[in-house]
Amino acid sequence: MSKKWWFKFSFLILVTLVSALMVLPTFTGKSPEKLPFSKKINLGLDLQGGLYLVMGVDFNKVFKEIADRQLVSLSERLKDKSIQVLESKVRLEGVPQDDPRIQIKLGTAQKKEAVDFISKDFPNLRLTEDKGDLLEYGLGNDYRNDIRDKTVNQSIEVIRNRIDEFGVSEPQISSQGSDRVVVELPGIKDVDRAKDLIGRTAKLEFKMVDEEGLKTVALPELIAQIEKEKNIAFKEGAEFKFSDYVKQINEAAAGKIPAGSEIAFEKSEIARIPLLLKSRAEVTGNDLQDAQVSFNHESQRPEVAFELNPKGAVTFEKLTGENVGKRLAIVLDGIVHSAPNINSKIGARGVITTGRGGYDEALRESKDLAIVLRAGALPAQLELMEQRVVGPSLGADSVSKGAFASLLGILAVFLLTAIYYRVSGMIAVASLLLNVVLVLAILVWLEATLTLPGIAGIALTVGIAVDSNVVIYERIREELGLGKSIGAAVEAGFDKAFKTILDANVANGIAAIILMMYGSGPVKGFAVTMIIGIITTLFTAVFVCRVLFDFYLKRMQDKNAKTLSI
Amino acid sequence: MFHLISPNSKIDFVGKRHIWIGLSIATILATFVLFFTKGLNYGIDFTGGAEVKVKIPASWDTGKLRSTLEKGNLTGLKILSIGDAKDSEFMIRAQEEGKDLNQVVKKIGDTLGMDLKAGEYEIKSADIVGPSAGGLLRKNGFLAMFYALLAILLYVAIRFDFRYAPGAILALFHDAIIVIGIFILTGKEFDLTVLAAVLALIGYSNNDTIIVYDRVRETLKMNPSLSIEEIVNQSVNQTLGRTIMTSLATFVSVAMLWAFGGHVLEPFSFALMCGIAVGTYSSIFIASSMVIVLTHYRENQAKRGSGKKAREVKLSPEAHIGI
Repeated sequence: MSKKWWFKFSFLILVTLVSALMVLPTFTGKSPEKLPFSKKINLGLDLQGGLYLVMGVDFNKVFKEIADRQLVSLSERLKDKSIQVLESKVRLEGVPQDDPRIQIKLGTAQKKEAVDFISKDFPNLRLTEDKGDLLEYGLGNDYRNDIRDKTVNQSIEVIRNRIDEFGVSEPQISSQGSDRVVVELPGIKDVDRAKDLIGRTAKLEFKMVDEEGLKTVALPELIAQIEKEKNIAFKEGAEFKFSDYVKQINEAAAGKIPAGSEIAFEKSEIARIPLLLKSRAEVTGNDLQDAQVSFNHESQRPEVAFELNPKGAVTFEKLTGENVGKRLAIVLDGIVHSAPNINSKIGARGVITTGRGGYDEALRESKDLAIVLRAGALPAQLELMEQRVVGPSLGADSVSKGAFASLLGILAVFLLTAIYYRVSGMIAVASLLLNVVLVLAILVWLEATLTLPGIAGIALTVGIAVDSNVVIYERIREELGLGKSIGAAVEAGFDKAFKTILDANVANGIAAIILMMYGSGPVKGFAVTMIIGIITTLFTAVFVCRVLFDFYLKRMQDKNAKTLSI
Repeated sequence: MFHLISPNSKIDFVGKRHIWIGLSIATILATFVLFFTKGLNYGIDFTGGAEVKVKIPASWDTGKLRSTLEKGNLTGLKILSIGDAKDSEFMIRAQEEGKDLNQVVKKIGDTLGMDLKAGEYEIKSADIVGPSAGGLLRKNGFLAMFYALLAILLYVAIRFDFRYAPGAILALFHDAIIVIGIFILTGKEFDLTVLAAVLALIGYSNNDTIIVYDRVRETLKMNPSLSIEEIVNQSVNQTLGRTIMTSLATFVSVAMLWAFGGHVLEPFSFALMCGIAVGTYSSIFIASSMVIVLTHYRENQAKRGSGKKAREVKLSPEAHIGI
């Protein structure tokens, strides 16, 4: 054998050894630390069981809040510049939900000055309308994209913190598109609890009860009247729609309650108790330092004790000091948790009582509340778009059935090839075998995830890989049929088949890449193995098969054999 | 040497091309009619909804399960037995407006829990797809299909010649549509994994077509004097051994997945099996015939526009780039 061949052959042996070593831990189930490679193949959720969630991020509220804030600072700055603002508001009607407009009315004389000032000092705003004395601004497009990115990234961060505290091994949290978050939790058992923990906004606010306002407004009657007039009904059980209900009530009550106040509800099992609160949150969850489960001295029931950071503590102390005798509402995600009387000045600490149900339920609820408070609030509301739960037994079942069926499929192809092409067929089988090992090794190396369709992808890869061998062999047969010598026929066969193989595999690869880009979850897993399979097929069919074939030819020469077994 | 197909086979494939093309057009038309009358049985991936797979005691049948679940007040309840009868596993599907979907899975579990003790039943998997996610998945699925076809069209056009590309793409459309037609006809569920299978098929079937085209190009180069019919027919015959052998190998490996892969893999491998059969047929009969039809079409065009005649009349091998 030539030097060149030995060089190629050594490379082949090296590749085989390395990939075999990489795949070994997956098959033995052990991760021997002595070996250079101890990683195992990542099994997808469909194979090991677990929870897969796609959450949509609701940006609309975020944009509205930012527009509100921009309006406040804009008005203040214009005032500083002694530009008189006659009227200002944030317009939501008639514009896309995610593009609120800031409207200001000014005296015409100062309009140009105002426009110049705003374009210089508020680069994040874009002028959308300039009509008479009215100016209208939307949030700049780049700015809105920034907000989107930031909101999604922050959501991922918060969810990660919550999950880490909850204790799940190898969670995966990532963004999908520009407005979705994907959460994958392998092997999780309590799906509902995990979902609750992830989806909860956990916005904590402390708001003063508007005691003066309550004296002038007959709240229960007002609400009853609004419900009747506007035909707003509240259904118990659909908890997530509660925020819509509260919003509608407040919209209808505007003008009938003091400005700067809002209606909120305290919920219990038997009733919901309306309260009138000051809209402004004096202290929020952002001012929290810590939150822990503690136990009430009297009732021995679990509750959540929180501690404010220094800045929050100062504000809180001042607030409670000034309002002794009044009530302070603790509002979580828009619902009043409790509204205790302020008996004396309160410093950095406080408690939130939880759960009116059984002890265990209250303890669980307290634990989860402490986790979400510590991890911080989500920057936006998340909407459940997709949820897939695979039980562990189905996962195990799928692994064994999928692996068994794939093995049978691969064996059938091997058998077919070996019978049809004899010795050359054995060479093809050897290269196919290496192909499978290579695909698995690359999966381990890339830390890619093997899903059930992924396993099917490997079986299909073998089917398609055999095509490359078939193309080469049929070509060699043809060349032999034309009367060429064995050496020349093999040479021409490999040579002419290469272009065809390349064309076919590239086209196949294009389809797989597009599948990977657009596919989600398991489909992606299929596409990944397909792509890897195409690359390894090119390598094994063209390089590996050739090296082995050269060896076979040499042996034929030595033995003086006259016919190729193909 | 052991041959499936004689190396000297001279089967006349293209002579009856009008029959093949007519047959395919009829099948495709039938699929369209079925699509608009019977319709595809979309899975929840595309319609949105909740789907729960449960294992219940062997003494229960679909009727018992249904009457139990009806107590739970579920909308659009659908129950199907899946897998082997002895496993007594069922698929329960329910629709619910908007965000209440979230509660459906819990409701199903709770309702079963009223009649069965824990351990007597097992929730194997539970999927919820919100309506907006369903729309998104559908959109992305069809986009993927469209882009894949477009990319392949471009690739074939660049690598071969523009007169090959339409035939290749038509063959791919042909395969995808007929596989979808089989799904409509059998009423099998069409979900994300089936769509993935159809996409994989587009790649696979294209593979077949390219190999035939490759040979057409080569034969054309060596025998420029032959008629396009002879060239195509000779090429199809020459590659026939390879086409059959590869299809057989792939079909067998997928058939194993279908037979032994369990109910999760079943729809996926079924789609692949149909596709391999249809794809093999289309590469032999349709894609090659299309080259002839398109060449004749161009010849006729060229005859009408007299000036360009010399350049357009024959498929000249020099016209191919990137060889």
